[in-house]
Amino acid sequence: MRFVSFRRATSVLAATILLLVATAPSQAQTRAETLRYVTGAAVNTLDPNIPGSTRESFALSMSTYDRLVAFGRKQLNGKWVFDLDTITGELAESYDVSPDGLKLTFHLRKDAKFQDGTPVTAEDVKWSLDRCVTAPILGKAQLLTGSMTSADQFKMVDPLTIEVTLPKPDKLALPNLATVYPIIINSKLAKEHATTDDPWATAWLKEHTAGSGAYILETFKPGEQVIIKRDESWNRGSASKPAFFKRVIIQSVPEPATRANLVERGDADLVVDLQASDVQSLEAKGKLKVISTPQYNAITFVSMNNQLPPFDNVNVRRAIAYALPYDDMFKAALFGRGAPLFGATWPDGKPLTGIYPFQQPVKLDLDKAREYLKAAGLPEGFSTTFSFNVGQSSTAEPMAALVKESLGKIGIKVDIQKLPDAQMSTQINEKKLPFYTEGIVAWLPSTDYFYRNFYTGNQRWNYSSINNPELVAIAQEARFEPDKTKYEEDGRKLNAIHNSEMPQIMLWQPNQDAVMAATIEGYTYEFHRQVDYRDLSRK
Amino acid sequence: MTTGLGATLVRAGRRLLSSLPALFGVLVFTFLLMRVLPGDPAVFFASGPNAGKEEIEQIRKQMGLNKPVPEQLVYYLSDIGHGNLGRSMMTGQPVLKDLRERLPASLELTFTALLIALIAAVPLGVVAALRPGSAIDHGVRLFCALGVCVPTFVSGLLLIYVFYYLLGLAPDPTGRIDVFTSLPPSRTGFLSIDFLLAGDVEGWWAACRQLMLPAVSMALFVIAPLARITRASMLVSLGSDFVRTARSVGLSWYKVVVTYALRNAILPVITIAGIVFSTMLGANVLVEKVFSWPGVASYALDALLSSDYAPVQGFVLLMASLFVLVNLVVDICYGIADPRVSIE
Repeated sequence: MRFVSFRRATSVLAATILLLVATAPSQAQTRAETLRYVTGAAVNTLDPNIPGSTRESFALSMSTYDRLVAFGRKQLNGKWVFDLDTITGELAESYDVSPDGLKLTFHLRKDAKFQDGTPVTAEDVKWSLDRCVTAPILGKAQLLTGSMTSADQFKMVDPLTIEVTLPKPDKLALPNLATVYPIIINSKLAKEHATTDDPWATAWLKEHTAGSGAYILETFKPGEQVIIKRDESWNRGSASKPAFFKRVIIQSVPEPATRANLVERGDADLVVDLQASDVQSLEAKGKLKVISTPQYNAITFVSMNNQLPPFDNVNVRRAIAYALPYDDMFKAALFGRGAPLFGATWPDGKPLTGIYPFQQPVKLDLDKAREYLKAAGLPEGFSTTFSFNVGQSSTAEPMAALVKESLGKIGIKVDIQKLPDAQMSTQINEKKLPFYTEGIVAWLPSTDYFYRNFYTGNQRWNYSSINNPELVAIAQEARFEPDKTKYEEDGRKLNAIHNSEMPQIMLWQPNQDAVMAATIEGYTYEFHRQVDYRDLSRK
Repeated sequence: MTTGLGATLVRAGRRLLSSLPALFGVLVFTFLLMRVLPGDPAVFFASGPNAGKEEIEQIRKQMGLNKPVPEQLVYYLSDIGHGNLGRSMMTGQPVLKDLRERLPASLELTFTALLIALIAAVPLGVVAALRPGSAIDHGVRLFCALGVCVPTFVSGLLLIYVFYYLLGLAPDPTGRIDVFTSLPPSRTGFLSIDFLLAGDVEGWWAACRQLMLPAVSMALFVIAPLARITRASMLVSLGSDFVRTARSVGLSWYKVVVTYALRNAILPVITIAGIVFSTMLGANVLVEKVFSWPGVASYALDALLSSDYAPVQGFVLLMASLFVLVNLVVDICYGIADPRVSIE
């Protein structure tokens, strides 16, 4: 009877094994020409301009649509990253900037065709750019940062030439046209689907593509997968030939451990959102290629609300800055995978650089922290909450525990709050959180851009709610400063203010860990922090 | 006099009608609950690097959140009346379309898991009841305890590790079908049935292989309640007068145990199976996440985390309706298992 029971108890497992044995998965012959990319997120719209679109949607649109221009790439510590200072033509064969910097003229490629075979004309470009600044879509706020606000600024000179007029010589105008949003749309096709309520066809473009990009959409299952196939006639890449992979499968796999298994087994070719611990073990095994690039346009902070007591007192903020266990946090949260923004030494107490973000001269020094607390009139400490969102818990949870422990030593009692993502962003927007960790990213990382967007005004991205007129004035002035030395000087001034006011504490720039099959080549860290499928090829 | 079948149908119809007020209550309650919960979906979805106040207002208008709550409720109820569940911000699709695509995935998985669980649990329970206190009984108890103790995502990850990662027997745990296999024309939404209808045996086999690991990890978790209830119910049944009589007149072992004892013991098992089924459908979110299964539960969880109202409301309504249906089916099964039962 003992055997009977054993048999019955394991019947389920036995049946499973039987079912699983035999036939190897039937793979198409084109596997080598197919890129399978797995991600924890999902594509939710085919037009990146739709409010609420995800980063995966941004990445997809880079391949399905062309823009007038594109960023070049450069090597940074042996790794390829996007290059803000090299702007190459995409749909534009070439471009001219007028000597006064007020006119940008784009000469379109003569051979460029949309995916339905019709030629790309200046009319399409004009319609697409007009849409970007007129329709209630995301491109509006983006192009605003490049001084493009009105349809009048875009003029068709002839069927292959388009002219952009600027009110001021704005350094960010040209780079803005290479970002995700100003896609060039097949205007004839889109207009057919426009309605009086929706003259810019936003509803239709959300679920259809009408572009001239390197890849043609094959299937789109929101939340599951997207399959794109190569457009053989596309030649807008730097090498003037179509993209390498014939097909790209973009698949959502929510569980990070499963993503790690998939890429390790060779079933997936590329993943960029693994947990740091998995990346470390995969790297140690040495079978896969791991390219880690510090996300040099992103920063993780510990933020304090400068308007809420006790954080309205600069000495409290300084006390916190000297009471954080930076090294332990860096190890626990990121396994050291990133670029630290703490622990610098400033010999004469002045910033070493005018570039933001910079390494701050702060380190764990509890005695100094206690002095600052005393200076703030709070020698006994106080109680507060430290918040982070669920989506970041894999890095923020260990970090929060260390913050709590360390601040406890100087008498600051911390309650850890783990908030659902939507709740966290709402509270940040309403300026209700006193003390929390968050991150920022800038597509066009320049010092004045960071200070204007993240340290100015009563708006959501001003995490610390700092209100410093001097800082705002310098940042605004720097925006249109043509002289590089003066710009650098302004940057140093801004950085000095940051360090003395300590509105929030910069921690680090986490790595983008791209884990890929050994045969994959050409991976480049892009400004949108996703993969540009056009960069990749297989050996 | 109504016939047996007729009576069952009348009973089912009456049951269905009486559940409508409850469904309406669920509808209104979920609607209000979502609005009371902290977290503003507009702010969450306006997270592009330059999204400011204007974008937030835009999304709020798009979601209809700029109107007062009672007015929103009226609009919502009238939309539901027209069969419109709203649009998901997360996937950008109408909720109805999302649910229609995802429900078959969840149902297929849950049915398979329940089937596996029943096939394993009922014999286990019967064997344990036949020899209470024996090594077999303890063995079954141990197995059940293990099944319950190990959370489904742990057993899921474990199964993946062994069968996919180490042995390479299972296909990669990413959804319902290998990405390189072409899908059959969708008729029922159940891939295993659609493939058979399309006459594609290879595809059917691929779909079944994909289904096995998630179904087994879910089944492991529910074998315990089913086996335990079978055992308890069988013990009562085996100790009753009619079984003693059946034994004393020398009926065969099979006739005594299966025909008399088991048939009488099966009622509570059906009840529990019904409850287990409904729970599994909503609670299999962890399994769905681990196996990237495109089901309704993981869909609802994602929506909840991002405060995407329409999908959550749609999901709760769907679950409530399914619960009503499952209870109905359980009632009808009662009638078949034991003709004396008539629940009014």
